[in-house]
Amino acid sequence: MNKRLLIQILSYGVLIIFMFLLPLFFPGLYVTHVLILIVINIILASSLRLINLTGQMSLAHGGMMTIGAYTSTLLVMKLGISSWAALLLAGFSAAIIACLVGFPFVRLKGIYFSMVTIFLAQMVTLTVQQWRSMTGGSSGIYNIPRPDPIVIPGILNITFTSSVNCYYLVLVILLVSLIMLYAIEHSRIGLTFRGIQQSDSLAESVGMNTTGFKVLAFSIGCFFPGLTGGFYSQYIMAINPDTFSFLFAIYILIYMIVGGSGKFIGPILGAFILTVLPEVMRPLKQFQPFFFAGVLMLVIFLMPEGIVGLPRRLKVVAGRLFKEREERA
Amino acid sequence: MSIGALAQSIINGFSSAGIYILVALGLTLVLSIVNIVQLSHGEIYMIGAYSVYYMVVSLGLNFFLALVISTLLIGGLGILLERLCFRPFRGQPDRAMIISIGLILVLQSVVLSIAGGTPRSYSSPFTGVLQILGASISWERLVILLIGFGLIAVLFLFVRMTKTGQAMLAISQDREGAALQGININRISAVAMFLGCGLAAIGGALVGSLFSISPTMGSFALMKGIAVIILGGLGSIPGAVVGGLILGLIDGIMPVLATTYLAGLIGFGAIIIILIFRPQGIWGHE
Repeated sequence: MNKRLLIQILSYGVLIIFMFLLPLFFPGLYVTHVLILIVINIILASSLRLINLTGQMSLAHGGMMTIGAYTSTLLVMKLGISSWAALLLAGFSAAIIACLVGFPFVRLKGIYFSMVTIFLAQMVTLTVQQWRSMTGGSSGIYNIPRPDPIVIPGILNITFTSSVNCYYLVLVILLVSLIMLYAIEHSRIGLTFRGIQQSDSLAESVGMNTTGFKVLAFSIGCFFPGLTGGFYSQYIMAINPDTFSFLFAIYILIYMIVGGSGKFIGPILGAFILTVLPEVMRPLKQFQPFFFAGVLMLVIFLMPEGIVGLPRRLKVVAGRLFKEREERA
Repeated sequence: MSIGALAQSIINGFSSAGIYILVALGLTLVLSIVNIVQLSHGEIYMIGAYSVYYMVVSLGLNFFLALVISTLLIGGLGILLERLCFRPFRGQPDRAMIISIGLILVLQSVVLSIAGGTPRSYSSPFTGVLQILGASISWERLVILLIGFGLIAVLFLFVRMTKTGQAMLAISQDREGAALQGININRISAVAMFLGCGLAAIGGALVGSLFSISPTMGSFALMKGIAVIILGGLGSIPGAVVGGLILGLIDGIMPVLATTYLAGLIGFGAIIIILIFRPQGIWGHE
């Protein structure tokens, strides 16, 4: 038992070190950008899965990123506070808004909840477009400063002017986020979430505050897109209301579904594969929506549990074939 | 604001309401009978506008003829979609919704690759302005209002008077009970998809004659449709009419009094308030 745990920890360690070394193997601005996109998509898809644990499907992730991006940008550029504090506040602002709208929203079940979250994201975009004095309207804000350097005099001086350092930063954010999400899922709260997913009326009848827990899942799940939105605006150094559109939220949902929302690793795999594949097939860029839709439908029709369910499904299919042959013989 | 301007904005509100109700009725029909959230409903609406555009501009057909043909064609498309994409997922609304998300991408990019991204426009045969009491109301909007509310009345009568309509009502109330009474759910689902998609296509074609059309016009209609059915009550036809009237009038009057943004905000606020005090919507029931 102990040995297995050790091997597991070791393999994760190797994987993390490998992720940190990646920019050395593949230098270049473009590859770094793709790596950053992969990491961001993993954070988003995994946080979406946390909301999904309570049986709700949010399509407000794009809106939450917009909230985060504008919060951090305005705090840094108008109030001049440290970019690190702004990054955290970006996450919290998204979580607080999610909490406020969450109470009326979670009264709706299943797909109806998804519909109001779409509406929320739309309202965020509309607000940002209209509040011209603050947000610069449709044209957005430019020249957003990169994250402040980390300076410990004499020992450490990390600046974030290069993309590679931004990659390291977002990788750290990813690790912290994944650890937090994993810890939440495997805590008592996570168990409650699952209970609500399986039967919320039963969970309520044994005295669980289902509304509270649903709102909690929604808020935590929206904290991470807020944070990521803040980071992304600092990395790209520009933001406009259409950066994170409705389509963007749909893509994140697709990452989660294709990877498989049943397991923790699912959204990670889905986000990784579906971010890398379109980049590899770059000459066919104009067919990207077809590609996404095709993969999505294929997975929905053939692999109900997503990519993570593939080995088990193959086993079932193989077992069936084997049995048939045996019977025939 | 003069009385004329007020009257004008109210008429504008009613004509927007007509469009919203057409879209929302389709959504709500499909929702309660096929039991899926048809998120690609906005794309059906967009295709409706484009098919009329091609028939009017490229083939030179009469606007009304084009409207009828495109409605039938797109209703047929709806039947096809129900058979191929939604029927395999009956009873699994979450997965059916994801399929409809895939359809958004497919339909949008098909139209984008055929028609290109530039906005296009066509004009309906009605031009000119009607002057009443100092209010100038364009004939186009009046015609839209008449067609929209006429169709709504027809749909009401259809559900009330015909056997198929009553079967739809039965399915929306109790699926299994209806099946036990010998109602063919597959057939009624196909009818519902036909009607839903047809109504959306008419809505799109009517809007296309007022404004320009583009491959991404569907998301606006979808948002309005969703707002209307949440406001009015999910799966309820009178609810969709009431919700559509409320949102349409807000969108017609508020921009004149204040700004378009405020109209959107008030619509959103109305939804939040309804959800807090009456989660089942104005006309819905548990």
